[in-house]
Amino acid sequence: MPFTRRNLFATLASAAVSSQLAHGADDPVAIAGKRPMILHNDRPEDLETPVRYFDSWITPIDAFFVRQHLPRPAAIDPDAYRLTVNGMVSKPLELTLADLRKLPQFTVPATIECTGNGRGFYTPKVPGIQWMRGAIGNAEWRGPRVSDVLKMAGVSGAATFIETDGADIGVASTPDFVRSLPMNKAMHPATILALGMNGQTPAIHGFPVRLIVPGWDGTSSVKWVVRISAAAQSNTGFFMNPGYRYPKYSLPPGTPARPAELEVIEGMPVKSSITAPEDQAKVTMEPVTIRGFAWAGENAIERVDVSTDGGSRWRDAQLSREKLPFAWRLWNLEWRPSEPGYYTVMSRATDTAGRVQPIVSPWNPSGYLWNSIDRVGVTVEKTA
Amino acid sequence: MRPLILISAVAVLALAADQATLDRGQKEEGLACTPCHSLRLVHSQRLSKATWNKELDKMTGWGTKIQDRDALLEYLVANFGDDKPPSPPAMSKDGVPKNGVPKK
Repeated sequence: MPFTRRNLFATLASAAVSSQLAHGADDPVAIAGKRPMILHNDRPEDLETPVRYFDSWITPIDAFFVRQHLPRPAAIDPDAYRLTVNGMVSKPLELTLADLRKLPQFTVPATIECTGNGRGFYTPKVPGIQWMRGAIGNAEWRGPRVSDVLKMAGVSGAATFIETDGADIGVASTPDFVRSLPMNKAMHPATILALGMNGQTPAIHGFPVRLIVPGWDGTSSVKWVVRISAAAQSNTGFFMNPGYRYPKYSLPPGTPARPAELEVIEGMPVKSSITAPEDQAKVTMEPVTIRGFAWAGENAIERVDVSTDGGSRWRDAQLSREKLPFAWRLWNLEWRPSEPGYYTVMSRATDTAGRVQPIVSPWNPSGYLWNSIDRVGVTVEKTA
Repeated sequence: MRPLILISAVAVLALAADQATLDRGQKEEGLACTPCHSLRLVHSQRLSKATWNKELDKMTGWGTKIQDRDALLEYLVANFGDDKPPSPPAMSKDGVPKNGVPKK
C-alpha cells in the first residue's frame, strides 16, 4: 500500500476502531506522569486538575492540567531541535537548544488558564470541553526572553505581530495550531520561551521549548515551538479566527456569534475559585478552612472576600504573600459554623486595577472566560 | 381490539426502526470520529440538535468522512442531547511511577 495521507488516515481509522471495540469507549486509562485527573479526553489529552490537588502555590507537574488541540507531536530529540526565526527580520535564524540556553535566562511565575476553563458552568451549554474549576495551574517557567531572540534576529520595526507555530499537526485537514501575538506583548520582559517548568521539561506540557505569555489566555502560550515569524499582520487561521475570540458586545444567551464582532482574547479577567470544601461536601460543627486561589491576568490580586451566607455578608480572606502580576494568590478563611444546616459559600476577588469578580459571567457562544463569583454548597451536620 | 394491535405493531416497528438508526449512528461515530480523538470528547457534551449539526459541519470541514450523517445526528441527539443529565466526571488512573515502575 503506497504511503499516502489518505492511507495513513484509513489505517489510523481502522486501528482506532478496533481499539475502540477491544476496550470500549470509556474504559479507564492512565496518563503517564499524571496523578488521577478528571479525564475529558484521553486522545489527545485533555485533563482537568481535581480541586483537592490545589493546595500549593506552585502546582506540581503531576497535577497540572493539560489541553491539547491536536495529537501530541512525536518526542522531540533535544539535539536535533531547531527553532526557526524568520519573517520580517534582517538575520533569519535556526537556533539550537544550546543557543537558547546561552541567552540570559529568566524565571517567571505565571498562572496558565485554559480560555474555556469553567465552560461547564454556562447555560445554555456550548460545544467544547466541559471544564469546571480545574483547567488552571501556577508554575515557575524559565527560559530566554522572546525579545532577546527577536533582537538577535534583527526584527524589523515595521513588524507588529509574531506568529508562533508548534510542532503538533492536525489529523486529516484539521487546521494547524498557529497563533499570533501582538509585538508589544511579544517584547514584554516577562514573555519567554520556556525551557523548563518547575525545573523539569515535561513533553506533555510542550517542552523542550514552549511560549509563555503571562496573564493571557492559555492558548497564547504555544507548546513545542518550532517557528517564530515576525509579521505585519495577524495570522488568520482557525485558532485565531473564529477560534479563541469573544463577542465585542454581549449576546443574549443561546444566540449565535456575530463573526464581524468577535475580538481576539488577550489578558484574562479577575477570578477566584473555591477549592475546599468541595461542592456538596458534608462537614461537622468544627472550624472549617475555606480555601481557594485567585488571579487576575496581567494584574495582581488585591483582596478576596468570602461569604458563608449566600452573599449577604462578606469577610476578608487571608492571602498568600506573593502579590504579583500574572501569578495567582492562594487564599483561606477560617469558618466556625454556629449551627447545622446547608450553607452557600462564595468567593469574590478584586484585583489591583479595581476589577471585581462579577455575579454573572457573560454567556458567550464558545464558553470562554468564565469568572462568576464562585459558589459551593456545604452541609454542616450536628456533631454526634 | 384489532386497531389496538395494529397501533401496537406500528409502534413496535417504529421503535425498532429508531433503534436500528441509533445503532447505525453509533457505528458511524466509531468510524468518523475516532481517527482524530477519543469518544470521551463527544460523550461529555450535552448539545441541542442544531448545535450537534453545526459540530458535524465543522468536523466535515476538517476532513472527517461521514457516510451516515442522519443516523449519526439522531444517535448524538438521543444520547448526548441538551435534555440529558450531565455526564459524571471520568477519572484517569494513577500514571505517576511508584518506585520507578509506571503504574498500568
